[in-house]
Amino acid sequence: MSWLSRLNPRAPGSRSGRSAAPSSPCTADPETCLMVFENHWRQVSWVLEQQEPSSSSDDLTAVRNHTDQMLCLLAEERPAESPEGAPGVAPMGPILELVVTQNILAGLVQWHLRRGLDPDSQGALLKLFEMLIGQSQQPLLQHTAILHPLLRLLGACADPELGCPLALENSLVLLLNQICVSMARQPVVLEMLFRAAPAQQGSTNLLIFSLLVPFIHRDGAIGQQARDALLLVMAASASHEAVARYIAENSYFCPVLATGLSALYSSLPRKIEVRGDDWHALRREDWMGVSSLVLFMNSLEFCNAVVQVAHPLVRSQLLDYLHNGFLVPVMGPALHKSSVDEMIASTAYLDLFLRSVSETSLLKTFLRFFLLHRHDNDTILDTLLTRISSNSRLCMVSLSLFRTLLSLNCEDIMLQLVLRYLLPCTHVMLSQRRAIREADLYGKSADKFLSLIPECCRLNAGSSADEDGAFWGKVLNSPTTESPAPPRPSTPSRLSFFIRQQSSGGGSGGGAPSTPTSMEPLQSGPSSSHPLSPESPMHQQQANTECLDWDSDYLEYLKDARRGIEICSWACRDWSAPYDGENPSPNTAPPPPPPPTSNPSMAMFPEHFSFQQGGSSNTPPGQQRAPIVAAARAEWSSSERDSGEWDVTIGKNNCISLTPRSKKRSLQREELLPKPIPHLVPSSSSSAAPLSTSHPASSPAPHNPTSAITVSYQAMYNGVTGQGDGCSDNRDRGLEVKKVKRDLGEQQYLDENANQNGSLVTCSSQSCTTLPQSIFSNSEMGDRPNQISSQSSITQPTSDTKLLTSDTSNPPSASSDLPEANQTQQSVESLIQELLEQAPGEAPLPGDSNGQGISIEAFTQELRELEDRVKERSRAACQQEETARESLSSERQEEEQQQLSSALEVKLTGDTKEDGPAVGLCSPARPLNQPAYQPYTGPFMVVLFAKLENMLQNSLYVNILLTGIVAQLACYPQPLLRSFLLNTNMVFQPSIKSLIQVLGSVKNRIEAFAASHEDFPAMLKKAQQYLVARGKLDWADSPAAVPTLRRSDSLVKSRKPSLGDLILRHTNSPTRARHAAQLALAHVRDGSQSLHSALFRGGGGASGLEKQAEALRVKNAVYCAVIFCEFLKELAALAQEHAVTLPFPHSPEAEE
Amino acid sequence: CKHSWNTCSSHQQSALSLPDQRASPARLPFGKKQLPPIPKNAAPITKPASTGTPAQSANGTHASYGPFYLEYSLLAEFTLVIKQKLPGIYVQPSYKSALMWFGVIFIRHGLYQDGVFKFTVYIPDNYPDGECPKLVFDIPVFHPLVDPVSGELDVRRAFNKWRRNHNHIWQVLMYARTVFYKINTTEPLNPEAAVLYEKDVQLFKSKVVDSVKLCNSHLFDQPKIDDPYAISFSPWNPAVHEEAKERMFTYKRRPEDHHKGTQVSGLSWVKPGSTQPFSKDDSPPQS
Repeated sequence: MSWLSRLNPRAPGSRSGRSAAPSSPCTADPETCLMVFENHWRQVSWVLEQQEPSSSSDDLTAVRNHTDQMLCLLAEERPAESPEGAPGVAPMGPILELVVTQNILAGLVQWHLRRGLDPDSQGALLKLFEMLIGQSQQPLLQHTAILHPLLRLLGACADPELGCPLALENSLVLLLNQICVSMARQPVVLEMLFRAAPAQQGSTNLLIFSLLVPFIHRDGAIGQQARDALLLVMAASASHEAVARYIAENSYFCPVLATGLSALYSSLPRKIEVRGDDWHALRREDWMGVSSLVLFMNSLEFCNAVVQVAHPLVRSQLLDYLHNGFLVPVMGPALHKSSVDEMIASTAYLDLFLRSVSETSLLKTFLRFFLLHRHDNDTILDTLLTRISSNSRLCMVSLSLFRTLLSLNCEDIMLQLVLRYLLPCTHVMLSQRRAIREADLYGKSADKFLSLIPECCRLNAGSSADEDGAFWGKVLNSPTTESPAPPRPSTPSRLSFFIRQQSSGGGSGGGAPSTPTSMEPLQSGPSSSHPLSPESPMHQQQANTECLDWDSDYLEYLKDARRGIEICSWACRDWSAPYDGENPSPNTAPPPPPPPTSNPSMAMFPEHFSFQQGGSSNTPPGQQRAPIVAAARAEWSSSERDSGEWDVTIGKNNCISLTPRSKKRSLQREELLPKPIPHLVPSSSSSAAPLSTSHPASSPAPHNPTSAITVSYQAMYNGVTGQGDGCSDNRDRGLEVKKVKRDLGEQQYLDENANQNGSLVTCSSQSCTTLPQSIFSNSEMGDRPNQISSQSSITQPTSDTKLLTSDTSNPPSASSDLPEANQTQQSVESLIQELLEQAPGEAPLPGDSNGQGISIEAFTQELRELEDRVKERSRAACQQEETARESLSSERQEEEQQQLSSALEVKLTGDTKEDGPAVGLCSPARPLNQPAYQPYTGPFMVVLFAKLENMLQNSLYVNILLTGIVAQLACYPQPLLRSFLLNTNMVFQPSIKSLIQVLGSVKNRIEAFAASHEDFPAMLKKAQQYLVARGKLDWADSPAAVPTLRRSDSLVKSRKPSLGDLILRHTNSPTRARHAAQLALAHVRDGSQSLHSALFRGGGGASGLEKQAEALRVKNAVYCAVIFCEFLKELAALAQEHAVTLPFPHSPEAEE
Repeated sequence: CKHSWNTCSSHQQSALSLPDQRASPARLPFGKKQLPPIPKNAAPITKPASTGTPAQSANGTHASYGPFYLEYSLLAEFTLVIKQKLPGIYVQPSYKSALMWFGVIFIRHGLYQDGVFKFTVYIPDNYPDGECPKLVFDIPVFHPLVDPVSGELDVRRAFNKWRRNHNHIWQVLMYARTVFYKINTTEPLNPEAAVLYEKDVQLFKSKVVDSVKLCNSHLFDQPKIDDPYAISFSPWNPAVHEEAKERMFTYKRRPEDHHKGTQVSGLSWVKPGSTQPFSKDDSPPQS
């Protein structure tokens, strides 16, 4: 709407200085004015009446002077008094009446045209008319005596021979703009224009329109005026079918608009120069100074506005053109460019566009393109998903894009990203499907998340716990005292010091950072409602807090979680289905796309290159794009080119990786110490595959870019699939193997094959544990109707006391089936035994109709607890071992978990047997009709979890973005998604990695890291101080300096976490990030060394490079520890809040 | 019955540190929301969990989160009550303790028709691992399962052992409603009522009618327990109640921080019943 409101015609006086009109004598009374006018007119008409148009410049000068005077008088004339106070049509003033009756203007224009319109006169006429229309005190254009001469003049401007000289364009557009403004005031004018036009010159019958269109994409004021004017025409035509049809069918408006975007897009910078290593998205202040981007954004905004106001005919035509004339031919290829710089730029642009578009139907066009359009067989979505796993800024930019997508709360997006993979419910054990809808009533899941906070990170747990207790107790003990408990100095939550756009937003940031429905300036609004706004007491109170008070900010997380969930469920209230595991029905849900390889032999392939997926492995290499490989190559080449963008890391194991250089210019030669870098351990679960054999071919060939890629992909892979779920990532595998074929030398390829063999073993051994589960889950299928959800019959006792006791033999037998019985396993068994012995006592008692469910869930819970204990034990046992061993043992833990799950399943099956008629159906002897595909939660989840598992190595900024996205996902109220992420009691299929598993492994890594660094506590403290200070700085910086904005997203962006400034123009100026970091460091420096200097000190003896690499590694790990703990609190809070959130009803005015 | 009840309605505000409004006002047949004179931004209140918070982890490392668990468990229970939309039952946690809920039940047909019974639910402080909650009627209703002296309903027979995850407070409330529609006389707390019901239904009925009358005659009494959130009734006063009723019926819950201008309407182009994106689409761009 701001477009329209902005277009309010200027007050007449505002332009007086600019107008060519001489100062007028018309302060006098109307009659005097009329006399003066008539006098002028007499003199002019004397010239006009001469038969041969004189070429005398005297005549011209005279006519001009008199005309100036006359039109000025006309403009200043007020309408005559209404006779009987009749409102509405005020009668014309005497001058106007004279002008109309004598057709004065027609004569004037005719005279000019006859004598040949020189640019000078043309310009003068344009200005005169513009002044007249703009300043007139009475409506003029509905008089044909005024409109027709005007159209003749404009027709002359449209005349191909005469045309409109460059110098006059400004005047022309201004005049057109004025016409449109008065047309917007008097809709009848549009009608007249439309009808009058054919009579006048010109083949197109909406002259004004065709004159304006060429200026749509112009720079500067002239373009803006043209767009404003056109928008007014659009708005006026919205209710005028004929005009709309004309625009759609006879004008080039839509194609010009759409293809113009294409042209403007192509002139955007291909590379976004950024120094700040936290930069990941274009903020308004980033692009305001980049003229090509400003131009593009203006036009895009114009499209948005047109879509908003135009007639449906025009709108749908414009959308078609945008899709087929801009998105598909231009954005599509741009997003698939092979150089990393271009990928980064195009992704950032797409993100910016998505955040800027506010009109639903335009957004839909973008999203349809994003989700459904296939470029070389892949949807844009698929392609961009793969880039999350990249190891560069590309990852951050991609994450940022997905954050934007998530913030739209769009069902179609969520369906494609996640939900369609969860719909069939194959990721959970069948018996668990009912639990999908259960909420975390007693904080069990929250507790579980919090329990993952590593011991080594509970620095000030002791003191703060006391304080907390005191605080709580105080309130508790004096519940009715009127004085509220003194607020504790609160520390900012992670959310505040990393103010993430999407979640901190509540309003301004989060939900829709960028999708203001209205385009009015919002700078005033959201900031006040921003929950974490700097004015809020929370932030003032922490002025003196230098360190994180670990436990006190939990309340903050709860508040934030509530806000996030409420906004999200509000936004999702009109979705087509609840996605609760029953609706849409898992049975009718179409099977989601499988992990891209359906070829079973390919599925067995090991993947050391699972960098990206997309495309079937069966595709001949020639047809296969390998954008990421190309990207990585480009990264490499760019590192060669302007050495300094990317750093080569050579590890002890001949691993080479590319790492973006930090702003500190630290070159990281990553030292691959075995212990703290578990991710470099081969992912194969067989202990027989030692590190070296896993990479026989990644020889010390630092100049071979591909092997560099190889290694970093390897790192990814460990993240992506981890142990045990080797099948979930087949897609990657197939593709990458193929890529290897193409990209690597023959030798390398063979070596890879060798690896594949090794991993075949892995998979088959894994199938031992997988198989029984599949059997059960499958056989229970027939059983499903039996799982009644008995909610109401509390008074109806059912006896199920025997359920637990009857099948005690099953679980042990299940576990004893396993090939090896090592110590850990025995302990599992004994624990199970213990448990089962206790079981009868725990059995449900009569009076409980939910018997079956109860026993299952109770048992699950107890098993979970057992698992935890087992994990604790084995973790303790393994902690001192080397990395390889550790990873192996963690694999064992997983196997154990699987065994436990199997045991559980066995038990459940037993239960059902006892229960009755379904018994026959669940015979374990029907193992064969397993689903054809492995449960798979989709590439998005897989890649996010992979990245998450790799947290220790991620940069601080990647982790902030990453955890933000996961938290954002966890806000969604749909039980399928909520249970997958937050229900830590759910039992998933063995091939499905759960969030809690991923976090558990991160926890172990952090603890291993901490154990190997004796100064960890000190570093952790420094890191916290740094982040707190950074948060403060950001707060202090951000809010005020928002320039005149039209969109709310700029406000949001001004609050974004990034300290780094994008500097497109001045690439050499110091970034805000560096500046901020320095300030922050100065702030936290407390006599001892700052974090960074401490971190960068390095050990003696090592070379400078090694030292720096090690320092970076340490830095990432320490920051990771901080973020990790906060993330856990955030997840716990989300789990708790979900249990107390009420759904919103459908909005009654649900559209369509 | 023409009366309204004055309370900070359970539908409007929870005592459990929830300053927001979470409820479906449509459930209220009538009523009036009248906030008690309590300070704004009252701190979350609950009874101290003297026996230790149940959800606390074994090693106690994050003990400080414990209070949140009890608080949230009860809040979650309350949320479940609201979701259940139990007919004729309204509850409101007390201001002083989240472990005490005030309630009222309206009986709309059957032997106890027109009965309006106020009650209080007491939740054990080691919830959810403790005993089953107690439900005590303000005035002992004449009923086989209601103690004629204390007014306590025999809830335990339905929840022999309170099991977390499977027993919920809404079930207790539901049970309290059920007993008035389906009379059970086994092992009665009020043997007289039980015997009469078995032997002389007519007399039983007339005693019930008397009891209902008695209860209703005390409807406008001050609440038994002095608590800002206690449920109290007052005669219908259009000047006071009409407007409040109007507001309740027109009230639409929105997210707390929902401010205009932000697009939170949520986007969906999925046709109901389909799982295909953009299946609702009528005019796809022709490619």
